Amino acid sequence: MISFSDITLQLHEQILLKDSNLLIKAGDKVVIRGPSGCGKSSLLKTAVGALALHKGTVRIDDIELSTSTVYQIRSRIAFIGQEPVLGAENVRDALLLPFRYKVHEGNQPPEKEIIRLLERLHLPATILEKSSARISGGEKQRIAISRALLLGKTTFLADEITSALDPESRSAVLDELFRSDITLLSVSHDSEWIKSCGRIVEISEQKLLEMES
Amino acid sequence: MSADLSLTAMLSMYAMLLIPVVIFFYLQLGIIRDTLLAAARMTVQLFLVGLYLKYIFQLNNPFISLLWVTVMLIVANLSILNKAGLKRGLFFWRSLIGVAGSTLLVSGWFILIAIQPDPIYDARYMVPIVGMVLGNCLRSNVLSLEHFYSGIRKNENEFMTYLMLGANLREATHPYLRDAIKAAVNPSVATMATMGIVSLPGMMTGQILGGAMPMEAIKYQIGIMICIFTAMVLAALLNIVLSLPVAFDDHQRLKQNIFL
Repeated sequence: MISFSDITLQLHEQILLKDSNLLIKAGDKVVIRGPSGCGKSSLLKTAVGALALHKGTVRIDDIELSTSTVYQIRSRIAFIGQEPVLGAENVRDALLLPFRYKVHEGNQPPEKEIIRLLERLHLPATILEKSSARISGGEKQRIAISRALLLGKTTFLADEITSALDPESRSAVLDELFRSDITLLSVSHDSEWIKSCGRIVEISEQKLLEMES
Repeated sequence: MSADLSLTAMLSMYAMLLIPVVIFFYLQLGIIRDTLLAAARMTVQLFLVGLYLKYIFQLNNPFISLLWVTVMLIVANLSILNKAGLKRGLFFWRSLIGVAGSTLLVSGWFILIAIQPDPIYDARYMVPIVGMVLGNCLRSNVLSLEHFYSGIRKNENEFMTYLMLGANLREATHPYLRDAIKAAVNPSVATMATMGIVSLPGMMTGQILGGAMPMEAIKYQIGIMICIFTAMVLAALLNIVLSLPVAFDDHQRLKQNIFL
């Protein structure tokens, strides 16, 4: 569950959202829409403490985002941006990077599971040995998604994560992320993605408005 | 002991400066004024240093020597923060602890354990050794701090990715810490490796010119090089680690108002 209560979001002196509310129940798939610069990506960032709220509260599964919980929240939810950063020399190290952190220590999945997941996302097992500098934007997006899935995350904040994908890869990603146990808050211009989301929320005049889907 | 240079001897050295000045004149480089000004500054500054070192050595009072060491540490600390582009008000004490702690530890080790002068607080050892260690730490500290914070600032997306993957502040800053320490220390590893072949180090040359036996001088040189190297690594690490709590906010984001 993700809930935004009475939030006011300000970026560079400009108010993007004012006293807005949004409740995303477990398993909901939500896409945020609105003109560029209206605060779609910023809203996602506030849920993981990457951007500070001017006012209001964010809760993830009943944990209120605060100084003392931000670390716990980040280890629970997946945030994937439009141009994901792998953060390691090669793909294997990038996928295993979070398992080197204390919070995920000892949870490293077996190689077989990694390869099976990569294949489901139309990535060959040989990509594991590739240098991060030599892979395409679409591959990067799917590796970042795999990394979050390997961590066993079920709450996803996804910002245009299918923008560089071909139709087959995109439908493979949709199959993985639109499972019933996954809660999804997303930003997308992809019509397939939008169609798959059960809820469409539009940012209009500093408010979050539920639209007919 | 070596012969003291007379006034005429010194004048003959200043006369040598005419060579580059004439070259600058013919090449119309427009840096004659700056060169002469720099030479004048060097003369005045070193003359003053010579004067007060003379008094500090004559007095040989541990408190006065320590006071002088404190002044050196504060000036070095301010210069580090300034050159690294960080706000002095925010980092002054933390950075001072890093610089002073590492400099005093290695200098103390060298003097108290290795040299053991009599008296132990002999200003002839304390002041120049701390000065040499500090002078070298200064450059490496500027490099490491600058490298660390600009690394995170330039790769903000990458840094935030680490945090989003569950890294705590220490884990998320680790790659930048590693790069910063490497950048600070690498030039010194190269210097140590070529020492004696490519360059004769200043301190050793000075001691030999001052009348010391070469075999005595190299032992001091080795000692001081190890001191410098250790202090560099320690200070670079301490300075970064101690600065973390003021440089990041309570959500581990890099504060933008720490830069000059």
